[in-house]
Amino acid sequence: MRGPSGQISRLGTLKSLLQRFAFLSLIGVTFALMLIGKADTVLVERARSAVTDAVTPILRVMSEPASMIAQVIGNVRELASIREQNAELREANDRLLQWQSLAQRLENENKSLRSLLALVPEPGAEFVSARVVGDVGGAFAQSVIITVGHSSGVDKGQVVMTGEGLVGRVTQAGNASSRVLLITDINSRIPVLVGDAGNRAILAGDNSARPKLLYLNQSAAAPGDKVVTSGDAEAFPPGIPIGQVAEVEDGNVAVELFVARDKLQYVRVADYGLGGILTEQPAQQP
Amino acid sequence: MMQPTLLQSVDLSARKALPAALTLLLMLFALTPTNLPGLSPVMPMFPLMSVYFWSIYRPELLSYGAVFSLGLLEDLLTATPIGSTALVFLVTQWVVLRQQKFFNAKPFVVTWFAFVFVAAGAALIRWIAVGLVEDSGFTPAGPLFASYLITIALYPLVGWLLAKTQAKLMGHL
Repeated sequence: MRGPSGQISRLGTLKSLLQRFAFLSLIGVTFALMLIGKADTVLVERARSAVTDAVTPILRVMSEPASMIAQVIGNVRELASIREQNAELREANDRLLQWQSLAQRLENENKSLRSLLALVPEPGAEFVSARVVGDVGGAFAQSVIITVGHSSGVDKGQVVMTGEGLVGRVTQAGNASSRVLLITDINSRIPVLVGDAGNRAILAGDNSARPKLLYLNQSAAAPGDKVVTSGDAEAFPPGIPIGQVAEVEDGNVAVELFVARDKLQYVRVADYGLGGILTEQPAQQP
Repeated sequence: MMQPTLLQSVDLSARKALPAALTLLLMLFALTPTNLPGLSPVMPMFPLMSVYFWSIYRPELLSYGAVFSLGLLEDLLTATPIGSTALVFLVTQWVVLRQQKFFNAKPFVVTWFAFVFVAAGAALIRWIAVGLVEDSGFTPAGPLFASYLITIALYPLVGWLLAKTQAKLMGHL
């Protein structure tokens, strides 16, 4: 009587047992991976670089339409306000010409003072330009994927910026792609100077659009104060513009960034030759 | 029955791989720069919607192994603690499979309503897992909650697209 239907139900039981086993062992593997990820970062990083390298060509193609749409919308907007913009630009031009003459005067003065002091100039930086093809958002991590890697001389710890200001730094470099940890990521900590007085603070990301200033006397910051890198800890060169203080509110000093993430299409990766805290060189023995 | 030709069997396996492939596509879509101001920090969890959808309608085409691999890939690509998304995807699928009787032949609105709870659980598990593993601790709840709200708001749209694809390409499977 039981014949085939009994076999089927027994097969079904076996299948569900196997599935349960697969589920439980895979859950075990995820926990093991989380532990490994915490202990052995080099191995995980290599895996991340390999996967990012493999996916970047696809992202490159997929990001094309989005950037095209953004360009078209930008063009239409510009056309609509072309008259006002023209007037504004004329005004800005007049103002900038005045600044230019001032800058030239200051540069000459600076030069003569430097020669007077016999100051050794700081080494310049080498720049590589890259396109942003991936934007890792969400509530847990903030980074972008760019189209240059080791093959273009890009390495972990290098500084990434645009004309407006600081974007972040390279935290993972593959062969032809890299990941840039944004200033807004919860793991980002940057030594900065605040305002004209140059008060020292740490700019800490919290995965929101506006990072916060830590270890800063609150009375030492007012909305509108400029925030620039301080160059402490040798992770960044001093003086790169970051943003300005947006609001000071019970213990929280939020910073509005100069670089608009939604307009991030091209970035520059700068190699200042800084040791920094991200390179993997062993500490020097005395 | 006639033996299927090579082309037919390739075609068949390609269709069977669609749930995993579409989840992957949604994952990459979430990574593409949108140029929309303010969206990036609250990017919705697109792959989670796909995992949930296929676990209800085509569980046999998206195995635990596939879900695990997709989660792993997401962790590697987004630089979140490795294993955390895989864990969330696995648990999501497990919960849905356990409630197969509940989901059986229910209208879409009911599955959407259930997703409100499943996605909340998924977000919470990921928040705890990431917070425990990362040195910087727990991420603020604000962006996470916003991302969660956008995720459940967009589920009908993504679910509709996936349902259309299923009807068109996998109806007879």
